[in-house]
Amino acid sequence: MGPLEGLAYGFSVALMPTNLFACFVGVLVGTIVGVLPGIGPVGAMALLLPSTFAMHPATALIMLAGIYYGAMYGGSTTSILVNVPGEAGSVVTLLDGYQMTRRGRAGAALTVAAVGSFVAGTVGVIGIMLAAGWLADVAIQFGPPEYFAITLAGLLLLSRLSGGSILNAFVMVALGLALGTVGMDSISALRRFTFGSVQLAQGIELVPVIMGIYGVAEVLLLAEEGIAKTQIAKVKLRELLPTREEWRRSTMPIARGSVVGFLTGLVPGPAAVLSTFISYTLEKKMSKTPEKFGTGMIEGVAGPEASNNGATAGAMVPLLSLGIPFSPATAILLGALVVHGLQPGPLMISQRPEVFWGFVASMYIGNLMLLILNLPLVGLFVSVLRLPQHILATLVLLLCLVGAFSLSNSFLDLWVLVVFGVFGYALRKLSVDPSPLVVALVLGPMMEKTLRQALFLTQGSVIDLVARPLSGTIVFLAAAALFGPPLVRLARSKRFAKPIPRGSSASD
Amino acid sequence: MLARAVPLVLLIVAAVYLTLAVRLPFGTAARPGAGFYPVIVAVFAVVVALAATASAFRGMRSAAVVQLDHASRRRVLISVAALVAFCLALPWVGYPAAAFAFVAVVLRYLGARWTTALITGVLSSAGSYGIFAALLDVPLPRGPW
Repeated sequence: MGPLEGLAYGFSVALMPTNLFACFVGVLVGTIVGVLPGIGPVGAMALLLPSTFAMHPATALIMLAGIYYGAMYGGSTTSILVNVPGEAGSVVTLLDGYQMTRRGRAGAALTVAAVGSFVAGTVGVIGIMLAAGWLADVAIQFGPPEYFAITLAGLLLLSRLSGGSILNAFVMVALGLALGTVGMDSISALRRFTFGSVQLAQGIELVPVIMGIYGVAEVLLLAEEGIAKTQIAKVKLRELLPTREEWRRSTMPIARGSVVGFLTGLVPGPAAVLSTFISYTLEKKMSKTPEKFGTGMIEGVAGPEASNNGATAGAMVPLLSLGIPFSPATAILLGALVVHGLQPGPLMISQRPEVFWGFVASMYIGNLMLLILNLPLVGLFVSVLRLPQHILATLVLLLCLVGAFSLSNSFLDLWVLVVFGVFGYALRKLSVDPSPLVVALVLGPMMEKTLRQALFLTQGSVIDLVARPLSGTIVFLAAAALFGPPLVRLARSKRFAKPIPRGSSASD
Repeated sequence: MLARAVPLVLLIVAAVYLTLAVRLPFGTAARPGAGFYPVIVAVFAVVVALAATASAFRGMRSAAVVQLDHASRRRVLISVAALVAFCLALPWVGYPAAAFAFVAVVLRYLGARWTTALITGVLSSAGSYGIFAALLDVPLPRGPW
């Protein structure tokens, strides 16, 4: 099926009433959790994952992905109006977005953010159509050594990019990989690290871990503050229209942001967040008046808001064509597909076209819905912020508890939720990014299986493993990306005697 | 304190994991057994956790943790205690009672009035029980009553 044929077929799937409704629910929930600070898309996706078990896999994917990209729209609203990021991908937006609000241009900032997100979302979907098909064709030749190399390279890159010290990221990866080995060994059926528990033999479930780290931990952060009143700027509908000058200045940042975002999304790492920093820096460099950034430059809203949406689209490519998730959000999407016995990978596009193309077409529809939801109805979503935070926080905790139990009616999952909630809170306090843990937990079993198969193929020779042209190249590229920049810095700094102090910023 | 406790705990976890992993059948490189990959992971885990602990104790990363005031710390501790209590009590008192008590206590300690806390507790307990137990057929424990 060619891209156009596939897309036409996809629309016939996505326009079915159930799928349209799922798409609407997804983007609506996404916008709301995007608007609400403290509750992010990953936690919401984990909470709603159990409810998708009864759905068709395409419907499940459509709804959960809708939450993911919907949150990118909603997050900007809070950044612009309240000076608090609705979610991590909108941190950069508040630099200039809130300054625009203070100068009475909140409406213009909101509109440019929404239109930028829409353009980037649409460009991103075209990117998925072209890139996923191509990558899937390449990936059909991949054997276990290549898959092992990709997962290894992905984890290395993720550790490098996740911000903060690489040592902390490696600790998170190690913990995630170790947790991934708990339970029945898939090849020899031996029980490992179960301490005799029947429930642990099934392994540690991803969803309670994610609910703990991204749900409970974030509520605990909210609990620190107790009852807090939010000051929200008011926006009138007729103020929403940007001036001609503002449109002109936003056009190129949106275009650049879309491309930057999509490309960042392809790379393992916290793509949505990272892409906004890259886009903001890029716009500042391209600008004739870089010193004015931070005072309400519309370019500083348009670029990053486009890029975070482009990144969510880009992140779908490795998931759909290789079956490998590189972020907690795509890990949940993988989970939703695997529950239905669907293994995303190079064959899925041809064998289950209704899932792949239906999902791609739904992203066009979802982005259109989001544009409509976020512009005229922006006031409605802002009123969500007036909900008392402490009540919301408590209800989210209760939902996490009942949601974790309902996954497999297991008390063990409840304990996993609580333990990882407390652990995630501690990590937040130490500014350690937990996403390498989550990704390693998902990739771990895949890594072990492919490593063992690959060693079997090469008769135990590690050299043969790396000497295969494809796997060798992948490992080499990852190593270069991982160790190249620090080595270059080391050579430049000429301070060989002293270790280089590590910065904690994402630009490190 | 936290900056040192977390890597130290993880180091202990990694060490325990290693001692368990070496007891599994290792196999050979050409025919890796169930313990092959866990041992590799365990060695990696011990090495990085050791490095992280060492750097935490040398004070390289001691900055950055913002100290909480007494009230904030209490709110977080109460919330965690309520989560643990919920998990412990659920099999004995059942979901409706545990959920009610959980919501009411947490809300009260987060600063809501008693009336708000109790009413929200009743509504959220009944509402979530209705959705999950009645509509979605989740076998939530009902308790002795």
